[in-house]
Amino acid sequence: MNDTPPGSSIDPTLPLRAKAGDRQAFAQLVDVMYPRSLRFALHMVGNREDAEEAVQDAFVRVWHNLGRFRDDARFEPWLFRILANRCRSLMEKRRRHAMVIQYGEVPERGGPPRTNDDRDWTEEIYRVLATLPVEQREAFLLRHVEDMAYEDIAAVTGVGLSALRMRVKRACDVLRARLSEVIRDE
Amino acid sequence: MNEAQDRMIERVRETLRTTPDAAPDPRAVGRLLNTVWESPRPSAWRRLLDAWRVPALSALGASAVAGFALFVGFLTRGALGERLEREPLSATGEFPVQPGATPVMQAAAFAGESAPVLTQFVLDRRDARSVSLVGDFNDWKGGSTPLTRLESGLWTVSVPLAPGRHVYAYLIDGTLVQADPRAPKSDDADYGREGSVVMVFAR
Repeated sequence: MNDTPPGSSIDPTLPLRAKAGDRQAFAQLVDVMYPRSLRFALHMVGNREDAEEAVQDAFVRVWHNLGRFRDDARFEPWLFRILANRCRSLMEKRRRHAMVIQYGEVPERGGPPRTNDDRDWTEEIYRVLATLPVEQREAFLLRHVEDMAYEDIAAVTGVGLSALRMRVKRACDVLRARLSEVIRDE
Repeated sequence: MNEAQDRMIERVRETLRTTPDAAPDPRAVGRLLNTVWESPRPSAWRRLLDAWRVPALSALGASAVAGFALFVGFLTRGALGERLEREPLSATGEFPVQPGATPVMQAAAFAGESAPVLTQFVLDRRDARSVSLVGDFNDWKGGSTPLTRLESGLWTVSVPLAPGRHVYAYLIDGTLVQADPRAPKSDDADYGREGSVVMVFAR
């Protein structure tokens, strides 16, 4: 598998302008990164309310810490590191709800409605994801859903490359095994 | 690992990437920005503690700084933080609203909690015979929100919009859909049209 993700979707001048106090640049950063941030947080924490809270907390911290953002650094790993920390803190805070999967109402955003089969398949994935250790879930989501390079994931998690590859592999192994069982049972 | 198993991970990836469960509320960005602007600047020692979580220092260095900050915080009992608190935006009105600003900036005019905000749209298309505004706020109905031609040749209209994020475009001469060249592009494919984004801020 190619470890190089597609190019960053962020205009590299935006974080620097935001750092200089340009609120419009920050608004554009939020607008660009909000969907991916929410997706990652939702798959990490497992419910919409906590995911939105984690994303909001993360962007508040980003805004107040932009002065510490290095001009030569890349924004996405920085944001995702802060967001991943917020997700972990929230999960710890709400550990008693960890096994309850409460994905929100499905918003109507065009496109064909999903069939029951699609819904069942998605919920099976959510169930298996929720059983993964947090560090495996985080590494899998960053690598396979957010398309991050392992080097960037290392910056997000502070973990070495070989350990990260092992986490992703183990997550993939579990997903393959459990979801194959689901398909066989159908 | 065989090919079928790889396809399994690919299927998981596509499901998680495209699930509508993670689709943002269109107004979420506007609400989030309001929260950010209104959030008080953390106290000095809180920011030093944040250094441990927000990457810039090594963990060891950050721990040392955090330890020192705790010591200073204990000595000053929060006196530093109180002096550094910033007035909320609503009190200072510092958000820029400037002539010639993009609609994103113009939309930052102040309003009540959920009251519509009068938002001005301006387009420089001197060759057009007619221009109307289409967007998610008027169900993309061409002609329902016509722009007025100014003597300068610019086209303009002011529309009350609910706080939040809206996608819009201009309809030129009743046929050509054009995004706003001065506003951020929308990557929403909901309507299959090229669009721009305006964020309307409530207070």
